[in-house]
Amino acid sequence: MAESETPKTRPRPLVRLGIFLISHSLLVSVVCCTAGVLALLLLPVLAKNTYISENALMPGSANAMLSSEDISEAHRFMNDLTGLNLKTGETGIESSRLIARYMSDLGADVNYHKFHPQPNQFRPLHFFSNSDSRIIQENICCSSHGVNTVGIIRAPRGDGKEAIVLVTPYNSHKIDLAEALSLAIAYSVFSLLTRVTWLAKDIIWLAADSKYGEYASVSAWLRDYQTPVFGDFEKPYSEICCESNARHGLKESEITERKISDVFRRAGTMAAALVIKVSDGNKQADGTLSIYAEASNGQMPNLDLINIVNNLAVHRQGLQVKVEKLLSLLDSKWLRILGEVFESVGNIARSLNPQWKFGIPAADYMEGAATLASSLYYQALGVPTGSHGAFRDYQVDAITLEISPKVALNNKIRQTEFLQRGGRLIEGVIRSVNNLLEKFHQSFFLYLLTSPSKFVSVGVYMIAFALLVAPLPIVAASLYSDANKWDSSLKKHDPTSSPKSADDEHRNILRSWKWLYAAKQVFIIHSWGVLVSLLPYLICQMPNWMSKVLTWLILGSPIIDADASQSQKREWAILKSVTISAAFIGLCLMSVINFATAEIGALLLVPMCLLAHPLRLDVRAHSLKAFTRAGCNLVLGFIGFPPAAFFVLKGSFEGFESVNISDFWNWIESLWAWNSATYLYIGMVHLPCWALCIWILLHPC
Amino acid sequence: MEEEKETTTTTTTKKKQCFWTWALASVIFRLVLIHFSRNLNLASRPEVSTPLTSLRRLAEGYWLKQSSISPYAGSMYHGSPLLLSILGPLTVQRGEGQYNHLICSLLFVIADFMTAVLIRATGQSLQMAYNQSLKSLGIVRLLERSEMLSSGDIAALVYLWNPLTIVTCVGSSTSPIENLFVVLSLYGACRRLVPLAAFGWVIATHLSLYPAILIVPLILILGYGPDSPRRKLFQQRASSKVGENPSTDIRYQQKELASQPMLPFRFSWRLVVHFILWASLWSCYVLLLCGISVRRYGGLGEMFKSTYGFILTVPDLSPNIGVLWYFFAEVFDYFRNFFLIVFHVNILFMILPLAIRLNHRPCFLAFVYIAISSLLKSYPSVGDSALYLGLLGLFVKELADMQFSFFLFCGYVGISFLSPVMHNLWIWRGTGNANFYFATAMAYACFQIILVVESVSAMLNHDRMLRKLSIMKP
Repeated sequence: MAESETPKTRPRPLVRLGIFLISHSLLVSVVCCTAGVLALLLLPVLAKNTYISENALMPGSANAMLSSEDISEAHRFMNDLTGLNLKTGETGIESSRLIARYMSDLGADVNYHKFHPQPNQFRPLHFFSNSDSRIIQENICCSSHGVNTVGIIRAPRGDGKEAIVLVTPYNSHKIDLAEALSLAIAYSVFSLLTRVTWLAKDIIWLAADSKYGEYASVSAWLRDYQTPVFGDFEKPYSEICCESNARHGLKESEITERKISDVFRRAGTMAAALVIKVSDGNKQADGTLSIYAEASNGQMPNLDLINIVNNLAVHRQGLQVKVEKLLSLLDSKWLRILGEVFESVGNIARSLNPQWKFGIPAADYMEGAATLASSLYYQALGVPTGSHGAFRDYQVDAITLEISPKVALNNKIRQTEFLQRGGRLIEGVIRSVNNLLEKFHQSFFLYLLTSPSKFVSVGVYMIAFALLVAPLPIVAASLYSDANKWDSSLKKHDPTSSPKSADDEHRNILRSWKWLYAAKQVFIIHSWGVLVSLLPYLICQMPNWMSKVLTWLILGSPIIDADASQSQKREWAILKSVTISAAFIGLCLMSVINFATAEIGALLLVPMCLLAHPLRLDVRAHSLKAFTRAGCNLVLGFIGFPPAAFFVLKGSFEGFESVNISDFWNWIESLWAWNSATYLYIGMVHLPCWALCIWILLHPC
Repeated sequence: MEEEKETTTTTTTKKKQCFWTWALASVIFRLVLIHFSRNLNLASRPEVSTPLTSLRRLAEGYWLKQSSISPYAGSMYHGSPLLLSILGPLTVQRGEGQYNHLICSLLFVIADFMTAVLIRATGQSLQMAYNQSLKSLGIVRLLERSEMLSSGDIAALVYLWNPLTIVTCVGSSTSPIENLFVVLSLYGACRRLVPLAAFGWVIATHLSLYPAILIVPLILILGYGPDSPRRKLFQQRASSKVGENPSTDIRYQQKELASQPMLPFRFSWRLVVHFILWASLWSCYVLLLCGISVRRYGGLGEMFKSTYGFILTVPDLSPNIGVLWYFFAEVFDYFRNFFLIVFHVNILFMILPLAIRLNHRPCFLAFVYIAISSLLKSYPSVGDSALYLGLLGLFVKELADMQFSFFLFCGYVGISFLSPVMHNLWIWRGTGNANFYFATAMAYACFQIILVVESVSAMLNHDRMLRKLSIMKP
């Protein structure tokens, strides 16, 4: 290396740029982080209007065909259902029989699907190992099973290779009015679709028994739909034991029900799925349609599906469409100020050049920010917001439509009007999807909604994230090169110290491999993180006392290790460099898996990693800068601890009085039960990086 | 990977113990993973098993052969017929569960272990040669520090504990066996066991074709001996010695020369001719065995077409970690042949310049060749990377000043996590597309290129440093 320095050749421009960035790493990191946060706050302003990207969809190009006969039929069906409720106490089988009869009267293929609720099980490798989700359990309780009723209309024009799914979850034990209404809407559309000639895709109506939760029933049906079982010896697990008690209850020998069977029936691949729900119109009674789209791990359905629904609901049926928003943000002061600032900046920009359409009214900004925040939150959680989430696991685009009526639906006229509206909306959506030639592929899969008709695409929101994490590699490189320089300058100082100790010599040889020791420490802490995240799984497998010992052993192990580690001077810089690199890799990885988690995680992790500096050095320095840094470090170190971060965030959004200690555990457990990647992120990236930062803070140098 | 580096720097006896402990630990770790291999489902990962190395395809080929159909029918199996007869019976599932499957996995573990042992032995002989050459150059200071680390141990442990090796071993692909024969040939050449070197080379070439280019470093090793500083240095030094000490009689010099038979200034043609003879003998033998084995199914022509032909014409465009599949999926059909030639000539193109520049370091040359061929291969897998990363450990002393080592390490770690995630996004979630996955493949190729470039330049720098030292200290 020595001789490469002697001829003063100017390095190439790219290298020069790199050296420039590295030498000004502090400035660069401050600028980048600020820009990243600013870009995140700007996202509601940068949101674009949605548009229907796939031409074949043509929403609303045909008139609605849903007639009043269909509606009145549906009304009769609804009355029968609610009447059933009054007549007998135990309606579990009765209601599904009734639905099945109505379906088969319309000429559909009907079958019952029996399933057992599967308890959620944590499978740490679920994300990578896909198939083979069929795990047969030994101890299925034969008495607890639900019955889905499935009706299929075969399309007169189709080849039976594609299908559209309607899902109406209902509680078979007690059907309330809202559920009956949702079933009636589906029925009205279903009865219309048996007659129309334009149908090119089969229609599947799944009346899902939500006795054990909506998600469980829908996912059980999907699992059996997508993984056909061949041969006799391997029966679907649902039929292992319930044959005896279910058959005689369900099978009837009436001629009208000859089409009803227990054989699992299938149509083609699913093009789209709509989950129809009616909310109890009590709370905010205005004719609104809420769309829920988030599936597991922040996956979203194709934007076109939301576009169609939004388009038809707003322009055809006059419904007000809304998506979930974080209400507490709506009355926060700083957001309003921010919105006003953006608005005035936009006004100035417009006065300079009318072409620049920048800036939105402050109220719109606040709405957008609240929606964006909730969109980020639900995606980051990685838990599906409804039974539509089950479809996304099979690459089927699905959303939940929750229609809430304008007024209380007590009398018949109101109900009829409501049914007509809902039915026409569903009909329009189905007609549109029916036109589809291929799978949904034109529009976006990776987006955040800021309102039902506005979205931020991946190309825009990635900029905010990239700006936020950009300082990490730069600071890592600068720390690394500083440490190396320091080393070589030391060597230059005493070049002729002849009796060098062997250890010293050895270190000099491996000058460029010195990071290996730090990498070892980072590796150990990360494997500790892996162990911690597997802890719930291990606890489940072991007896009680052993699990307790194990817990303390695992949680306490890094403390023991920290004591044992002998550290040299200056070593913390290399350690910090490796930590930052690990955090960078982890965040980038997570941004691919689930963007929202990575964004929120980066907001917490990036400042913590960048500012980490041994407290002892700061205290020794006796300067204001050092004390501020130490203070920042302590605060960030506190906030970075996952439970603390959870409580602070929850407290700031919902008020501190509602915070409970057990909330964190419940939250983690729900993440764990839903196989969320966020759980793995917390365990394997956030927690180890936090531990390493604390280690750097307490570094004895 | 890191812990062992620390540990191998202690005393020699402890070092030896340490090595064997860690090696055994790696074997046990593998066995534990094999126990869970069904849950890990590694055999279906495109990073681990390519069409050439997949054990599932081998099982299919074996089944076809058992039913008296050509194993190459149906374009499933593309490996050697010899491998089929050795590994084939182990892939059959018996009634009593996974017994045979375990034996098969055990075979791969043994192959990995043997590879590591051979790498260690190669490293020892390299080190001996290195020490001797340094002694004869009179650079004793470098020698002192070189005794701190045994590069063979490091290389063997890096190979054994490399996650890529472990994944390849547990994921039941046949690359551990291919790697074993490549290392066997290098070992044979370094220890001057000509038949062994020829055997390793012939089998490795037979299994995966690309090791054929290793004939250049093998011949150089046999001709000149293992890695040493440039030969000019020895000549300069010898001449300067003669000039300085005219008083010493000529007999002393001759004695000195005779005491260093391992530093040949001349190319020893005898061994090379032996090697070529042995290689042709072994290849005749292998061809004979193959001929017998595929006699009823179209003969050797069929075998060549569906093994070497399959490698060279790239008909299987299923995604892997290389760059060729994407390119040939995009390219127009009438340019296909042209680009096939371009891509394959790319490897051949680098042989001669590298051989000229690095002819005094044939083992390192072999490492560079393996790295380049695993980069430009038609069906690369992580098993190839595992091999060259293990061999990289052999040159740990020479590459001590390598730049960007940390950057490369982070890159490899990042890519090896990102690649499966992108694959998942594309294939299973459907929200990504092929470009996502190909981007990681390109990044991986870039990192490999940086690794090769940096290691070669570090090696050349090391040579320069040796020259300076030998001139400075006459």
